[in-house]
Amino acid sequence: MAETITVVLDVNGVGKEISVEPRKTLADAIREDLGLTGTHLGCEHGVCGACTVLMDGEMVRSCLLFAVQGAGAEITTIEGIGDGGELHPMQRAFSEYHGLQCGFCTPGMILAGIDVLRRNPDPGPQEIREEMGGNICRCTGYQKIVESVQAAAAEMSKEGVSA
Amino acid sequence: MKPAVFSYSAPESIEEALGLLAEHGSEAKVLAGGQSLVPLLNFRLARPAHIVDINGIGELSYISSNGSLRLGALTRLTAVEESGDVSSGHPIITRAVSHIGHRAIRNRGTIGGSLAHNDPAAETPALLLALDSEVTARSAGGERTLSAQELVGDRFFETSLGDDELLTEIRIPALAASSGWGFQELSRRHGDFALAGVAAVVTMDGGAISSAALGAFGGAYAARLPEAEAALVGAEAGEAAFAAAGERAAAEFPTTSDVHGSEEYRRHLIGVLTGRALAEATSNTGGENG
Amino acid sequence: MTATQSTGWIGVSAPRREDALLIRGRGRFIADVSPAGALHLAVLRSPFAHARINGVDTSAAESLPGVHGVITADDLEGIGAFPTVWRLPGQKECHTPALAPGKARYVGEPVAAVIADSRYIAEDALDLIEVDYEVLDHVVDVEAALAEDAPVINEHMGDNVIIEYTFPGINALGVAGDLDGAFAEADEVITGRFRIGRYSGVPLETRGLVADWDDLRQTLTLHSESQVAHLLRTELAAALGIPETSIRILTPNIGGAFGNKWDRYPEDILVSLASMRLGRPVKWIEDRRESLQATVHGRQQLQEWQLAVRSDGALLGLKGRVLSDQGAHLHSVGIGPAWVTGAAAVNQYKIANYHCDVLGVATNKTPNSTFRGFGGPEAMFGIERMVDKAARKLGIDPAEIRRMNMIGADEFPYFSPGGAVYDSGNYPTALAKALEAVEYDRLREEQAALREQGVRRGIGIGSYIHVSGFGPSAILGMLDYYTGGYEGSTVKIDPHGRATLYTGMIPMGQGTETTLAQVAADHLEIDIANVRVVWGDTDQTPYTGFGSAGSRSNVAAVAVIKAIEEIKAKAVRIGAGLLEADPEDVAYGDGRISVKGAEEMRSLTLAEVAQQAYWGHKIPEGDQPGLEATYVYDPANFTTAYGTHVAVVDVDVQTGKIDWVKYVVVDDAGTIINPLLVEGQIHGALAQGLGGAILEEFVYDEETGQLLSSSLMDYLLPSFTDLPDFEIHHLETPSPHTEGGFKGMGEAGCFPAGAVVANAVTDALSDLGIEVDETPVTPARLWGLINAAGG
Repeated sequence: MAETITVVLDVNGVGKEISVEPRKTLADAIREDLGLTGTHLGCEHGVCGACTVLMDGEMVRSCLLFAVQGAGAEITTIEGIGDGGELHPMQRAFSEYHGLQCGFCTPGMILAGIDVLRRNPDPGPQEIREEMGGNICRCTGYQKIVESVQAAAAEMSKEGVSA
Repeated sequence: MKPAVFSYSAPESIEEALGLLAEHGSEAKVLAGGQSLVPLLNFRLARPAHIVDINGIGELSYISSNGSLRLGALTRLTAVEESGDVSSGHPIITRAVSHIGHRAIRNRGTIGGSLAHNDPAAETPALLLALDSEVTARSAGGERTLSAQELVGDRFFETSLGDDELLTEIRIPALAASSGWGFQELSRRHGDFALAGVAAVVTMDGGAISSAALGAFGGAYAARLPEAEAALVGAEAGEAAFAAAGERAAAEFPTTSDVHGSEEYRRHLIGVLTGRALAEATSNTGGENG
Repeated sequence: MTATQSTGWIGVSAPRREDALLIRGRGRFIADVSPAGALHLAVLRSPFAHARINGVDTSAAESLPGVHGVITADDLEGIGAFPTVWRLPGQKECHTPALAPGKARYVGEPVAAVIADSRYIAEDALDLIEVDYEVLDHVVDVEAALAEDAPVINEHMGDNVIIEYTFPGINALGVAGDLDGAFAEADEVITGRFRIGRYSGVPLETRGLVADWDDLRQTLTLHSESQVAHLLRTELAAALGIPETSIRILTPNIGGAFGNKWDRYPEDILVSLASMRLGRPVKWIEDRRESLQATVHGRQQLQEWQLAVRSDGALLGLKGRVLSDQGAHLHSVGIGPAWVTGAAAVNQYKIANYHCDVLGVATNKTPNSTFRGFGGPEAMFGIERMVDKAARKLGIDPAEIRRMNMIGADEFPYFSPGGAVYDSGNYPTALAKALEAVEYDRLREEQAALREQGVRRGIGIGSYIHVSGFGPSAILGMLDYYTGGYEGSTVKIDPHGRATLYTGMIPMGQGTETTLAQVAADHLEIDIANVRVVWGDTDQTPYTGFGSAGSRSNVAAVAVIKAIEEIKAKAVRIGAGLLEADPEDVAYGDGRISVKGAEEMRSLTLAEVAQQAYWGHKIPEGDQPGLEATYVYDPANFTTAYGTHVAVVDVDVQTGKIDWVKYVVVDDAGTIINPLLVEGQIHGALAQGLGGAILEEFVYDEETGQLLSSSLMDYLLPSFTDLPDFEIHHLETPSPHTEGGFKGMGEAGCFPAGAVVANAVTDALSDLGIEVDETPVTPARLWGLINAAGG
């Protein structure tokens, strides 16, 4: 049996100690060891963005990090978005504006959208397209995702919510 | 697409890292941002026996400016992109870094990692060549200074660093007040590696060009374009000079072909983008495009 | 629209019930299915395009700790292979076992499989398998594959022609055209030779399977993303040699399929077999590299056309030859897509004289099979490029030549010489509407002015038809397509008056669960919240051999309507007894069963009648207790969706890069169930059409036979900044062939996209005389044309 390392991952505000091989990716650890399967794997080489999580508030590819590197960071996955049972405005907007079809890219998209609005609460369509360009959707053609993010931005500014 | 087995250490100081590199030698690979290395590991195209993860070495991450710029090798690309120190003195770096991958990649990717990976289609090596940068490399045995040219010149996907050496700092000299810059890149998609790209820095004396530095990428390796640079010195800025420089650039660029474009096409693009980068550079001398 | 609305659910943008889980990350995709004790399978794939396999040494792999077994071709004795469902006359026998038997024919063909404690260890074990390959000459170009001395990929075939099929130009009424006469009459014969690139659906979620064999019950539970679970069950039972009654297929959420997951694959057998032999659940999740190498590719054709035209613009006759680059062997649908190309090539035009030869040709590449569009976009590329070429040659505006040759609104049903029957539509109106939306005349003036300023703007038009709703089954039989074209639906009303609907359709992003619930709510006239849709379990849902596709919801919707009609009739019979009225005087309306004219006084709710139906105390003579119905709807005929797209682009002649200016779609998919979801489908299909037009391509190295596009850094999926905003307009001509008037629409968006882009770019560069006849139109390819033209 290969060497394993014990690490504490703080995901969605809950710390959990896991024992993993150093080669195990953060994405696999989140999915398999923490059972949070909302983080999806679409390419495992950093192109598609389906595995996007927030690490200390910034979006990163969890397929390009090892679980052992997650120690000490606050990690947020799609399961940690929203306030208790309440959906995040970004989640509501994706549903309302049909910003998802199969839903596979959606967790990463929603997290990326939140990250974009954190940096600019009122982005135009072109800026959204450029800032979210690292997340691939194969179903929607993107237009309705752009509309969803814009709608979420409007909703959040109305509610005074920051991303 | 899961990595092969490796052993792992996460040193907390440069000295500790250098000790590990000395111990593991060619068996070890340094893990910085991991945005290029981890895909290679996942594809099992790289199979180092040992990974030295330097992300815990806080002293490798800094931006310091007093005209010239010092960047710790582990400085994240996002930090470089958002730094006022960088954009005020070296706006060409801000622009070039914004072309690297996407936000999520830049949040982890580091300036030193991008340079040391030395992908011939990447922005960083050519940019730092054009800016006459130099770097510090340290090993357990000591420290040395290399020019960017000495580090990456004529090489691809490797550098002149020894197995026991760690890139620790990148230094970029101040740009002259009368200088201007241009950065032009063509890629298949936003954020992709370049089909071709050119970073240009020119210094003006009235309407004439007094010096030019051109760094090109998207070929066999990142390269300065000395013939084109020479042709520009003393020339009046304008379409004729740019076109002549573009022709020389195309001729001297070490081109290559891949699935996205032939040698001939990339050579042509270097010519076109050289002209465009020069037009941009000569139009913003004196910091107009800061 | 309020939450308690009980009628009028068709035609509204009802929110998707699928979303609640997906936006929370609580969808359950195949990789999320993890039975306790599951082992992980990984597949060893051929690194060579063509190689004899002289031996496979698995000993080192088997002795690696954590490895539970290795399967090689030798272990497949007694195990069958999947057939092609479509077996056109003359098709040579294709038999492809789950593991390459003695020879690998493409990079990525499965050679062996390992089962281990984890995917990580399984991949470690793959590294330890030693295969003795004897590399053979390969061929990856379709024309080279036809050469006398080409390496023969399937030796038993004798050469690389798998099938040659001819469309003789006889319509469904048996009327033959006069092709020679048409060409004799022609003032000009326009020729075209088109290379349509190889690309595919590339769903963001790769394929995957979880098999769980219960040795005591002798049952296999297979979690599969198949778009056609029942057909998989049938074929898997045959291949494994176990009763079909032993297999239950469960479908999780599907992360995109786009036709690619319609096919049966070797892994269906390997994963099932591994579970049966090891007595443990076995899971396989395809990784991205395998997915690009081993999930079916699509589209690739080399077409040659001749179009006979009169100087006044009349299109007289069309003659063609389509070489379909099939890859190493036929997959589940045979040469189906190429057949559709031949059947649809005359498009919206009154070209009565037609002939087309379609050849399925083997090459050392991944099989070319089912992908959204299924031969239609290829057909549209050919004809729409040809029409543009004719317009240019004759000096007629490309919009005008289309208009004057289109089938008129009063000419339906139209019997095309490709053999199809077009049901309805108004083609000229769709074209006119598209031209109006882009302000075509103003655009042409603007184009001329910009040209003066050195800006090369191009306008591309593409019209299309999409024949969908395949059926009736008897026609499929005549086409040697060995499954049915029907869809079934079971609707059960519970004693509280709520409906559960069982469908063989599988939602994979298109919102089928929502749209079928809308149809049911609309026809039962109850609140949509009171309709549950059950899918994805072959133990519960009606058999479908055609399965789920974007263009099948129309057929499934009719099955729902018909089942509900039976339920309503029965509710009326039972209700009449309870109301002590003659059934003739009782009607169903607004979710109630009422005496006509006395709705206020003598009326029962559906729940009241349903309760009685289940008590069974007062069931009319001849009826059974309960309130449910199953209806299997076999379509009366195909439906034809159609439309016109217009793209406006700017081309940078120095770099070959294309920038979007505008993209307008006018389409007609009959009655629309949910406008928001229809728009989503058009956007998505269009994105895939445009992806293949400018970015996506599986490139093979001629020298080595290697697939060069085996990562998403080299196979380029369109991202946010690669696509324009789409402007969409609808016509709504209900199909006369289907109850409800629905036509299939989930694919149509991709049909004209390639042609539209090629036409627009050609138009932008008209002064250089460049013809864009190959896709994708990459910057490198386009600059090559520009450079050759001296631009």
